[in-house]
Amino acid sequence: MGNYFTMIFSRPFPKKQIKLLMVGLDAAGKTTVLFKLKLGEVVTTIPTIGFNVETVEYKNISFAVWDVGGQSKIRGLWKYYYQYTEGLIFVVDSSDHDRIETAAEELNAMLAEDEMRDAVLLVLANKQDLPKAMPVHELTDRLGLHALRGRQWFVQATCAVQGSGLYEGLDWLSDQLSRR
Amino acid sequence: MQRNKQVAMGRKKFNMDPKKGIQFLIENDLLKNTSEDIARFLYKGEGLNKTAIGDYLGERDDLNLQVLHAFVELHEFTDLNLVQALRQFLWSFRLPGEAQKIDRMMEAFASRYCQCNPGVFQSTDTCYILSFAIIMLNTSLHNPNVKDKPSVERFISMNRGINDGGDLPEDLLRNLYDSIKNEPFKIPEDDGNDLTHTFFNPDREGWLLKLGGGRVKTWKRRWFILTDNCLYYFEYTTDKEPRGIIPLENLSIREVEDKKPNCFELFIPDNKDQVIKACKTEADGRVVEGNHTFYRISAPTIEEKDEWMNSIKAAISRDPFYEMLAARKKKVSSMKRH
Repeated sequence: MGNYFTMIFSRPFPKKQIKLLMVGLDAAGKTTVLFKLKLGEVVTTIPTIGFNVETVEYKNISFAVWDVGGQSKIRGLWKYYYQYTEGLIFVVDSSDHDRIETAAEELNAMLAEDEMRDAVLLVLANKQDLPKAMPVHELTDRLGLHALRGRQWFVQATCAVQGSGLYEGLDWLSDQLSRR
Repeated sequence: MQRNKQVAMGRKKFNMDPKKGIQFLIENDLLKNTSEDIARFLYKGEGLNKTAIGDYLGERDDLNLQVLHAFVELHEFTDLNLVQALRQFLWSFRLPGEAQKIDRMMEAFASRYCQCNPGVFQSTDTCYILSFAIIMLNTSLHNPNVKDKPSVERFISMNRGINDGGDLPEDLLRNLYDSIKNEPFKIPEDDGNDLTHTFFNPDREGWLLKLGGGRVKTWKRRWFILTDNCLYYFEYTTDKEPRGIIPLENLSIREVEDKKPNCFELFIPDNKDQVIKACKTEADGRVVEGNHTFYRISAPTIEEKDEWMNSIKAAISRDPFYEMLAARKKKVSSMKRH
């Protein structure tokens, strides 16, 4: 009993912990997104061999973001990490016209996973500063987002290198997730 | 001579921008433009930054992919178990954090491992998926950003069916799990830039128990090394960086009674509330000042306690400057009070 109360009183406003996955093709800009979101919180942590994972604190929500991906052979392994995932961040290189179909396939494969059923989808239309970048409406079409049923989604134009658009994307996410 | 200088320049360029460095070395005829030669240059690694090597090997261009395969071929994994082989491989460069890069690297690693050890796995795919799972496990167990630490049962169920549809022996998976849990993959040190030489010929080294300095005091088993008038302690014997450093300058040592046997402590003579000048690395990696007013240590046997105490006594040096400074501080604070 005593312990129970101590626990409550020592943490009056527990932060909501939310697990997000981040996917996208090679060189879409995932690592840049992760590290840009971390800026301003300069803590040197013990580096760990393995996948990029960052926790980002924003608007009283703590996001844990994993960089996931790889060939279909290892998709079975990631399933264990998909569990309890509330959101998917899909990063796409808006200037990569050649690989947009591949990106769409990757996205749809991910959304088809049973564990991703309830996850909201934030698409970061990255590299908007490049001259050949597709605008948001074109990307929305080519990724086939209009065909999605029963899924909350949003496309945010970003330029991760400059950091623009990222917090707008997080705003949308925290909005959606805090309503749950 | 000129050539050596140019090679050194090429290495520096490589460390700043791997592609440009390789290009420079090739253009100046210091390196042949074949994947084998580039791989050998990276494998030798002289003067190269391991993160830069990892960045180069992780690129998706054809040349980089060929170099990755040639690089993996240079490793000898015969008769090593999978985790030993991975430890060796992951020491030769810094594994990048991007999933796709890790994927390509584990696939190349697995095919070499199976080539060196035919018959260990049914197929290279099994080895590749398992190697990938091990990197995921290392991330989950040791990255402080991951809160949800998987149990061995979860690791086992995660690997169901990866052996061409069948399961791998549970013992094998349990052993892998324990190995990674007990000893994370080390961050590779850059060539010529590690502390190994500092700890090469210590005055004394061994396991001791150390009482923590926080509010709740607990005993922790640490590997201690005494060298250069400093006491260093590590979490594992193979760690390259110490968890804590205690300069012995102006400290004293005495035997003490405690619940633990064979105890002694380091303290500042005539000043029991002053915090001892020392530093330690927090669990999250920050290096902070120590918070001990004394260090209490327990040795496994009486003999070891005596040996440690004698060695430490011999290593404690006196620097009158610190005593002077402490005296002056005392004087200033007492003046303020009046």
